Amino acid sequence: MSIDQAQLDQLKQTLQADDYRLDVDVQGDSADVAIVAGPDACEECLVPKPLMQSMLAPVLGVQPESIRLVYPTDPA
Amino acid sequence: MFDTIIDPTVGAPGDAERGRTALATRPADLAGLRLGLLVNTKRNAADFLEEVSGLLADRYGVITTLTRTKPSIVHPAPPEMLDELRGESDVVVVGVGDCGSCSASAVADGLQLEAAGIPAAVICSDAFRVSADAMASLQGTPGYEYVTTAHPVASLSRDGVRERAEQALPEIVSMLTRHAVAVAS
Repeated sequence: MSIDQAQLDQLKQTLQADDYRLDVDVQGDSADVAIVAGPDACEECLVPKPLMQSMLAPVLGVQPESIRLVYPTDPA
Repeated sequence: MFDTIIDPTVGAPGDAERGRTALATRPADLAGLRLGLLVNTKRNAADFLEEVSGLLADRYGVITTLTRTKPSIVHPAPPEMLDELRGESDVVVVGVGDCGSCSASAVADGLQLEAAGIPAAVICSDAFRVSADAMASLQGTPGYEYVTTAHPVASLSRDGVRERAEQALPEIVSMLTRHAVAVAS
């Protein structure tokens, strides 16, 4: 499956409304996704990771468990 | 009914095991009914629901009997809070989902209330349809309907909040009194 660009843009806009940026790198059947906080982002406004993975999976065309997801609050 | 809290992140979209949440039976009208308000801590959420409560009282004869504020915007309301709402309300308005996590958890709250037989109207801002819809799917109920208002809500003045509540009122009333076909099992 390929990336659904329209849905990806919609998801990016949703995150942008909370001042987050979405960086995506899809390689084959897995993906690296980083969510980057802007200066006005509220930490609590991000959905739990499993929900975010379920949102990303159909958009990126990969299984939720194949998405390596990094949140701004994750330890470096 | 609320002995166990629904973990909003358990299950997959269209989870066959969980099954679709059926809507509670709607009243024909709202006159004399007890209204519960389930508020989150986003700025203006309480004011928004207070305005809705006032409008519903003035125009439809609804009596607000209970207002509860969720301890977290990320998670659904705790079971004891939902139990209170179930015991003291005939219909409940939930809101305002004005961020990614709070729109998702508001939808989870709405579905829990419906499952307990309480008609609910969930209010989310339109920028967060994606997370609200994702939660509905994750809970096995894609297409769950909720009321939307323009984003943002948090930056509105009290007059702006009042205006938004006024705009949302017809849809809220409709959602509490009709049987939404899209959500029915």
